Amino acid sequence: MGKTKTIRLGNRLRYPITIVRLLKNPGDTVKKQDALMEYSFKWYKEVGDTIRGETWEEEQTTYADWSSPSDGTLNAWSIKEGQVIKQDGPCVLIDEDCSHEIQFQGLCAICGKDMTEANWAAETRDTERAPISMVHDQTNLTVSSTHAQKSERELQKRLLESRKLSLVVDLDQTVIQACIDPTVGEWMKDPTNPNYDSVKNVKTFQLDDGPHAVVRKCWYYIKMRPGLEGFLKRISTMYELHVYTMGTRAYAQNVARVIDPEKKLFGNRVISRDENGNMYSKSLQRLFPVSTNMVVIIDDRSDVWPHNRPNLVKVTPYEFFKGIGDINASFLPKRQDLLTSAPSTNGVKKAEKPADKNAKAVATGKDTDEVTKEQLEEQQSALEKQINERPLQLLQEKQDKEDEEAEKATGHSDDSASSRSSSPPPQRHKVLLDDDRELEFLEKHLTQLHKAYYASYDQKKSKRTIGEDVPDVGNLLNNLKAKVLRGHQIALSGVLPQNTDIYRSEIGQQITSFGARLRSTVSKEVTHLVVNTSQPGTAKLNAARRYPHIKVVGLEWLAQCFTEWTSVDETPYLYFKEDANNVGAARQAEESSDDNDEDMGGIETGNTAPRTPQQKMNKLQIQLPPRGDDQDDDDADDDEDGLLPDEVEEGQMSPIDGLKTFNWGSAEDELAEFLASGSDDDDDDEDMDEEDEEDDEDFAPPDESESSSSSEESSASRKRSRSRSGSPATRKRKLEDDVGDGEEDGNNDDEGEENSPAKRMRRMKSARGSSLRHQYEAAPDLPTPAVTGDEDGVEDKVEEEGQNFTDLDEEALAADLEAEFAADLEAEFNSA
Amino acid sequence: MFFLHNLERRVLLHPSYFGKNMTELVTTKLVKDVEGTCTGDYYIIAIMDTFDLSEGRILPGSGMAEFTVGYRAVVWRPFKGEVVDAICTSVNQHGFFSNAGPLSIFVSTHSIPPDIQYDANATPPQFTNHSDIVIEPGTHVRIKIMGLRTGVGEMFAIGKIDGDYLGYS
Repeated sequence: MGKTKTIRLGNRLRYPITIVRLLKNPGDTVKKQDALMEYSFKWYKEVGDTIRGETWEEEQTTYADWSSPSDGTLNAWSIKEGQVIKQDGPCVLIDEDCSHEIQFQGLCAICGKDMTEANWAAETRDTERAPISMVHDQTNLTVSSTHAQKSERELQKRLLESRKLSLVVDLDQTVIQACIDPTVGEWMKDPTNPNYDSVKNVKTFQLDDGPHAVVRKCWYYIKMRPGLEGFLKRISTMYELHVYTMGTRAYAQNVARVIDPEKKLFGNRVISRDENGNMYSKSLQRLFPVSTNMVVIIDDRSDVWPHNRPNLVKVTPYEFFKGIGDINASFLPKRQDLLTSAPSTNGVKKAEKPADKNAKAVATGKDTDEVTKEQLEEQQSALEKQINERPLQLLQEKQDKEDEEAEKATGHSDDSASSRSSSPPPQRHKVLLDDDRELEFLEKHLTQLHKAYYASYDQKKSKRTIGEDVPDVGNLLNNLKAKVLRGHQIALSGVLPQNTDIYRSEIGQQITSFGARLRSTVSKEVTHLVVNTSQPGTAKLNAARRYPHIKVVGLEWLAQCFTEWTSVDETPYLYFKEDANNVGAARQAEESSDDNDEDMGGIETGNTAPRTPQQKMNKLQIQLPPRGDDQDDDDADDDEDGLLPDEVEEGQMSPIDGLKTFNWGSAEDELAEFLASGSDDDDDDEDMDEEDEEDDEDFAPPDESESSSSSEESSASRKRSRSRSGSPATRKRKLEDDVGDGEEDGNNDDEGEENSPAKRMRRMKSARGSSLRHQYEAAPDLPTPAVTGDEDGVEDKVEEEGQNFTDLDEEALAADLEAEFAADLEAEFNSA
Repeated sequence: MFFLHNLERRVLLHPSYFGKNMTELVTTKLVKDVEGTCTGDYYIIAIMDTFDLSEGRILPGSGMAEFTVGYRAVVWRPFKGEVVDAICTSVNQHGFFSNAGPLSIFVSTHSIPPDIQYDANATPPQFTNHSDIVIEPGTHVRIKIMGLRTGVGEMFAIGKIDGDYLGYS
């Protein structure tokens, strides 16, 4: 082998030492534990009578042998006889017989020696020479770092020659979805079932890897993502494919057999959690310990790749068996990306629980083996649950019931139903739809990436700057991705729970990785407001209304952008449907007559008020000018501060319509004075807190406070709900009102007369001003219910005046709503 | 290398089996318990016959009967330097794994003749000299054992195929 190794003296010697004699000469064969040289050291010994205490120290000189820690031939000495050495340093060069670079189960695979033998002559154990495990299907075969480098260079050379890259493919929910619900098997055998067509292509295999009786010998149903076969075939000409899954070894191999029966695509490059060595995360370093420059990952989860995000192409999770999720995900932390807020009906919720436990265990430092065992059991029980409860059957039954009801309602068979389900009894809807197109886009991206990589490689090569270095695919991927949403400034609303750091959230990181800028608040620069259509956050929506150029889109838009890697047309995803479908009509309706506008205003404040926030927002949108209107654009430009609502221009019902007769100059002055005083800021916060609490306490069904939207009725109903909610809340409210009044009085001491119009005006203005200021200053990203507190006080006054400040009321409602949603959201997140 | 080895074992019998065919039961249980196991030094391949079946002794507490049985078994003890026939099970860039009966043997690229190279592009990956020799999962190979290590109830070995009459067969 003849590999020269420098051997150090080691720090266990009692320095300083004197070399007395070299026992071996260069060229001599040395064996482990052979004495190579003799050295001496001096030390002090306590001698004398310890009982009487008559002791003194005497210098002693001890001679000792220094033994060889390894086998081989002595090459050269770095020390001389008679030399005094003060500290650890190189001592001798030995040409080793074997450097034990590959080891299998504690045996050197090159020389066959047992590496686990501990030896006093060597400071490190021989097993540490080969610490890297880089083979797919074995964990007990380890190699040294130099050997790993060598074999990776070979791999790199081979890939470059065939102009390929490595692609690590995740299985569950990326290219397939697995489920063990026996319902699928029954559906497959029953041609009359509405889902028969969908499950026709489901592959099955039986696995026997569960310790429990129920899971033992259970059938796995594997649905391949549409177009998978062609995708893999074409992709495999550009990429060398590896499977990396969190399933067991048997599972991984069976699935690989399903999607690649001839073993042409994956060969033996399959790694499962049994070989991964980590239950919670995947790592490219497990397979490519030296360089990941030529490796791309496709996975539906990015959180399991903590160290390899640059190489990851995130795929939209494939959800064919609705509500099943990933049957192998029980060890992983809970899915963080909310983009696909697929409702987890049954299996998933259960399966996700252990992850929390894991986190807990990490926090408490609990024994990991124990936790792992617990988790295994949990997974078993989750699987058992799936088999026993049959979530898919429940789902279909539910669907059938709905269909029946729908049929009863319409009186005849629904046309759309028959077109959707092709099986004989056309009245039944199927729950399993196979309409996924992700792989088409994925193929496009991977092809693009491959092209970009080799373009960059050829360029480097032609410049002859390429040595050992090849371009890093991670950088190229980042560049490609960063072009996608470049120039976009995106704010989120109702997507993430409160108090989350949006920049570190999964979705935030994704947005940033696609080149868009993430904004915590809605401001002029924002181009897109992404809302969670099921839980919109009202404050930002309201804020976005002030900027007509902001496109308010559903989360699906973002998901589609991430899938297609282009900034897709927003139109189908616009949150305000009137905008999308009915732009011209809405414009006409708005421009045609003032009456019409008044009517709209009437609708806005009338008793037929909308019940859901969605409807409500749609209603609000009617007031919004349609996009692309030149005039409005100009307005937007003029209105740089965003203080003037656009509604005014349209001559519609506006919160400040009643103020048109006022002297604006003086009002502005007063406002400025009021703002400058700044005394109410702290109170605002307190109010906010109180308001929050109150909203939590007297949580009323949303329609109670919404159904009546004229100001009188609304406040009346609010009072009703308050008085019902018990005395503490009422007291608090009173206190708050008092505080508010007192504060305003305090601010207006010098004004004197209570009922002067200017004062009234200022009160209204102050409320208005604070909410505007709130938006203008782009304060905290989630709405401040403090506004409500302020406005409540004002509202009472308004009532006395008999004026109709619908917008104030509306904002109050909106803020109330917002608080409710926030509470809901929080509750949900806590429970999850 | 295979040996006929005389061994002894204590067999426990549950009280529900007490009856006239007890000796037969004891033998069956012995065969079931012992055959195919690894003691650490050798594998017990098959039990030839039993002798010296002792009288049963009831163990206080559990009620089980304990028999001491002497038996003669064919055992296989792999030795360093022994040449065995094995079947390749898996191939990777560092070498290949093979099984000689119950024993798992790894052969590294260093112990494979230099003309036989790893070919990762083949499906499945294989070691080949690009003419007659192809080592892939399922191939029979003749291996010389270079090193052995015993664990609790298992053994591992390192082998080589560079040598006369070794390798692809």
